[in-house]
Amino acid sequence: MTGGGHYLVIGAGGLGCPALLGLLAAGAEAITIVDHDVVETHNLQRQILYTVGDVGMAKVEAAAVRLRARAPHLKITPRRVKVDADSLGPLLAELPPHTIVLECSDGPGLKFLVQDACLARQIPLVVGGAQRWRGQAQAVVRGQACLRCVFEEPPPPDLQEPCSAVGVIGAAVGLLGYLMAHLAVSLRAGAAVAGRVWAIDTRTLTPQELQPRPRAGCPACGGPAD
Amino acid sequence: MATIRIPTPLRKYTQGQEEVQVNGGTIEQVLAALEQSAPGIKERICDESGKVRRFVNIFVGDEDIRFLDNLQSVVKDGDEVSIVPAIAGGR
Repeated sequence: MTGGGHYLVIGAGGLGCPALLGLLAAGAEAITIVDHDVVETHNLQRQILYTVGDVGMAKVEAAAVRLRARAPHLKITPRRVKVDADSLGPLLAELPPHTIVLECSDGPGLKFLVQDACLARQIPLVVGGAQRWRGQAQAVVRGQACLRCVFEEPPPPDLQEPCSAVGVIGAAVGLLGYLMAHLAVSLRAGAAVAGRVWAIDTRTLTPQELQPRPRAGCPACGGPAD
Repeated sequence: MATIRIPTPLRKYTQGQEEVQVNGGTIEQVLAALEQSAPGIKERICDESGKVRRFVNIFVGDEDIRFLDNLQSVVKDGDEVSIVPAIAGGR
């Protein structure tokens, strides 16, 4: 199974770095990397593409340099953009056909926003998240359970727990990032991976697979395929 | 007794335990029993009206309780109940 084709990776941080390496290893032909942030020293513990010398550099540029050094043939498009409701539409509109999206940001609302927008455009995606010791990922295509089938909405701001506040173990984002890349490549290969929620607790080394069903009337995916 | 899998963010209420065994014939009873042994945890799972928060899901085995009977979903001895919150981190 090879990864060929084009991928859009939103977020070049803890999840995005291993996901990018996973896509590269799987034979991706082209990757667009989107992030607005710069490399900071405290990122280096888990954002494995970067070095001390990259501190202060835009993450998308530093990531592009590192990936090109490993795979000169790989077409990398770094986009230093803050993804939000205004920028997401144009970003998705310019994607080449058959792009698969990997949502690797740390914004709860953004994950739902990206998923909803991709579903509306029938763009397959993989959504992942990791905090503290645990990570979970879900490949999403229309007709299978989506993020809103499982979690109807993101937590409200007062109940959100950013990694900057609660921390995240490097192994959790590492495992999840590579898993997200594998799920994306699997989607491209036509494997039946969509809909399931894959999770791992790295403290107890306990994996978990959940098989949610599409929820009737889901505002994002429309529910079960007829 | 049923086994409840506690997600990482809620383990501060269970003294770090990943799994807690409780008695209860329905999800509602199981959550009430969990609250007794881990005070404060239920507020993170359910809202003021007692409903499961929209960014949390609960599974009995592989079944999403929203496809069973929600809080009245039956829980049998030996069942595994998973509390799964939406995780947003990634940076």
